[in-house]
Amino acid sequence: MEGQSELIISIRNLTMSYGNKNVLNGINLEVTKGQIIGYIGPNGAGKSTTVKIMLGLIDSYEGEVVIFGQDISAGDPSYKKKIGYVPENAEAYDNLTAMEYLVFTGELYGMEREAAQAKAERLMQQFDLLDVRHSRLSSFSKGMKQKVLIIASLLHDPDLLFWDEPLSGLDANSMMVIQEILIQLAAQGKTIFYSSHIMDLVEKISNRIVLLVKGEVVADGTFEELQEQSEEGSLSGIFNQLTGFTEHRTKARDFVSIVKGDTDYA
Amino acid sequence: MRDFQSLKFLSAFKIIFTKLGVDYALMETILRIKLTMDERRVPTIFNDTNKKKEGNQFLKSLWVYGLYSLLLIPFMLQKGSYIFPMSLVFGFILFILMTSMISDFSAVLLDVRDKNILLTKPINRKTIAAAKIVHIMIYMTFVTGAFTAIPFVVGLFKHGILFSLIFLVELVLTMLLVVVLTSLLYLLILRFFDGEKLKDLINYVQILLSIGVIVGYQILIRSFEFTNLEMLYTFRWWHYLIPPLWYGAPYEVFLSGNTANYLIIFTALAVLVPNVAIYGYAKLMPSFERNLEKLLSDTKIRKQKRNRFDEIAAKLLCRSKEEQLFFRFTASMMKKEREFKLKVFPALGMAVFFPLLLVFTFPTEEGAEGISGSLLYLFIYFCNLMIPSLVYMLKYSEGYKGSWLFKAAPIEQASHSYSGALKAFFIKLYVPVFIALSVFFVWVFNAQIIPDLVAVFLGGLLQTLIAFKLVVDDEFPFSNSFEFAQDAGGMKLFLLSLLTGLFVGAHFISTFNDYGIYIYIALLAAAVWIGWQRVFPILKKHKKEKTDFVLDE
Repeated sequence: MEGQSELIISIRNLTMSYGNKNVLNGINLEVTKGQIIGYIGPNGAGKSTTVKIMLGLIDSYEGEVVIFGQDISAGDPSYKKKIGYVPENAEAYDNLTAMEYLVFTGELYGMEREAAQAKAERLMQQFDLLDVRHSRLSSFSKGMKQKVLIIASLLHDPDLLFWDEPLSGLDANSMMVIQEILIQLAAQGKTIFYSSHIMDLVEKISNRIVLLVKGEVVADGTFEELQEQSEEGSLSGIFNQLTGFTEHRTKARDFVSIVKGDTDYA
Repeated sequence: MRDFQSLKFLSAFKIIFTKLGVDYALMETILRIKLTMDERRVPTIFNDTNKKKEGNQFLKSLWVYGLYSLLLIPFMLQKGSYIFPMSLVFGFILFILMTSMISDFSAVLLDVRDKNILLTKPINRKTIAAAKIVHIMIYMTFVTGAFTAIPFVVGLFKHGILFSLIFLVELVLTMLLVVVLTSLLYLLILRFFDGEKLKDLINYVQILLSIGVIVGYQILIRSFEFTNLEMLYTFRWWHYLIPPLWYGAPYEVFLSGNTANYLIIFTALAVLVPNVAIYGYAKLMPSFERNLEKLLSDTKIRKQKRNRFDEIAAKLLCRSKEEQLFFRFTASMMKKEREFKLKVFPALGMAVFFPLLLVFTFPTEEGAEGISGSLLYLFIYFCNLMIPSLVYMLKYSEGYKGSWLFKAAPIEQASHSYSGALKAFFIKLYVPVFIALSVFFVWVFNAQIIPDLVAVFLGGLLQTLIAFKLVVDDEFPFSNSFEFAQDAGGMKLFLLSLLTGLFVGAHFISTFNDYGIYIYIALLAAAVWIGWQRVFPILKKHKKEKTDFVLDE
């Protein structure tokens, strides 16, 4: 893609199974510095599992995962210092206040307490969260909590970001801000790996799209390359085609008929 | 969905509900759903294994109450005056019902999760509130039934039909008293407070209630005097405030024909208070539901609170930055996590209360002077008894899903997480209780017991370590769901509590010799020192690799 750029992530033959159900079937992926990767796929395709493996949340995988030149299976957690993560379902210690949570996270990543606090305060101000910074996360709305988790993932100025559904719960304005933040972070040389179900967004900001279906990479390239490959105009179209889903119209029609009470379908 | 016998039985009272303005059919639907959901939930009360079993776990745990109820039989068999045995029996019943209400059903009463589901539907508030209270009542009936069935049969054979009738009527009244008064108490708090403060306050009320019930029971026993193998009762005006006495009185009135004024008033209170409470509750019910909404909102802007004590303690006691961090994290989790507080604070209350109670009530021949020279200070070991179960609770959190953070973050010494957490537990929970008790004990027993207190303290530390090693032995604190907090650990915890007995024994042996206690202290200190190094080793293997990669910046 970008010539001989520095290799950040390298995954070789990654497989993973829960019991006898294969979740990942031999994934190969190389990510270089500065890429924004949209990691997409239907529910249950193994996106979050891949991300969790790379973060060391799951270690019962097979294959090789190298991040920042370090094989993560060695058990040395130091590669995580330069990673920021936003989890899928906004999971956090809800009983802590936003500020406590942020400072705690910052410190876990080796920041000084005062520095973490000052930075968190400034970042929260940008998201209009300053007034509620000493309230518990449990009283936050989904969107507010999501913003706190986004800040938590950036506080220590990481070089690699894993954002799992970063936009869930955010309003349209906040979404635009986050989009722009992603683009500018990538321009600074950060590598971003995120998953989303919002195809328009993935289409707009990713410079590389990886489509995962049933634990396998079925498409990998820029949006333009994917377009050529599938002859579909939009990413949603490509998504539908590559995941083999074409009957959305008939499905919807049947559904509406049942709602109306047509007996043929009921 | 299946038919529930309890609902069939309930339909006999349909008219009463309809008269009160409740939509009976809807209430029944809501109840059926709730009972169905209960079958799929693991209760807090009793749970042996990790596996979720089919069926209503709560009902399956009722046999325990049947077992407890055997304690009542001697009282049911007593001859002579009724007021003593029956007050005690109803004291027991109130104690069991209240404890069950607080720990198992407060959550049902204060549940706001179904608000979005139910209130968006065309159902009036009265019906929702009624469904809630009936839901609780169904379970309380089961608890009451399990706890009183055997005593009831015993009473029937021993004292006859009239006795049993009074017993039954009083059971219904006590049940109503417990459920409705608890609800009214919550209602009051909900009315006057809001937001986070409200949630904290509810926690404190639950804790106070649990302690109050235990203290109340002690007061009850103390209102009788034991002389010549006979329990004598002397009336005092403040006895009007002790509900078990209300329920002991009717037996005197109706069976012994004793019509002293205070007995008549007790009987009247027994009947009137629950009824007045129900009337009040029915009036206030809709506002209760409305005020529940406050639990969801938090509008106040809060200021930062920084705890200097925690920071200094962390710096003094922890070896590494990571350990300090976990010390402070644990300190704030312990302060804020409601479930944790609810499970832990009653135990702490008892840790303070029991030693005091025992020292005061232990009969000594020589009176007050006899106490100070005795070995009664060993009762302070009661505050070590709580250590295993409290340490065990550090494993759990309501927000346990947030523990991904520990795996995602570059933590070098994972063992420092728990050593920090244990230190925080010890300093923030154990030490305050221990110091408060020590000051009191030194006052009662003189300064000569100070070396003994040091030994108790070191024993506490060692027990903390042993408890951690045997029941926790997990990687990070606060990373498991409370759903499993009651499981397999139970038996282990019980055995670990018995360990306190070993410490008491060793301490006792050390008193045989004048210098024995100092030898004991030295041994304990060595054990703690070595134990700590063993349980929380410092791993060196990652240190070297740290500089292996450097990012170009």
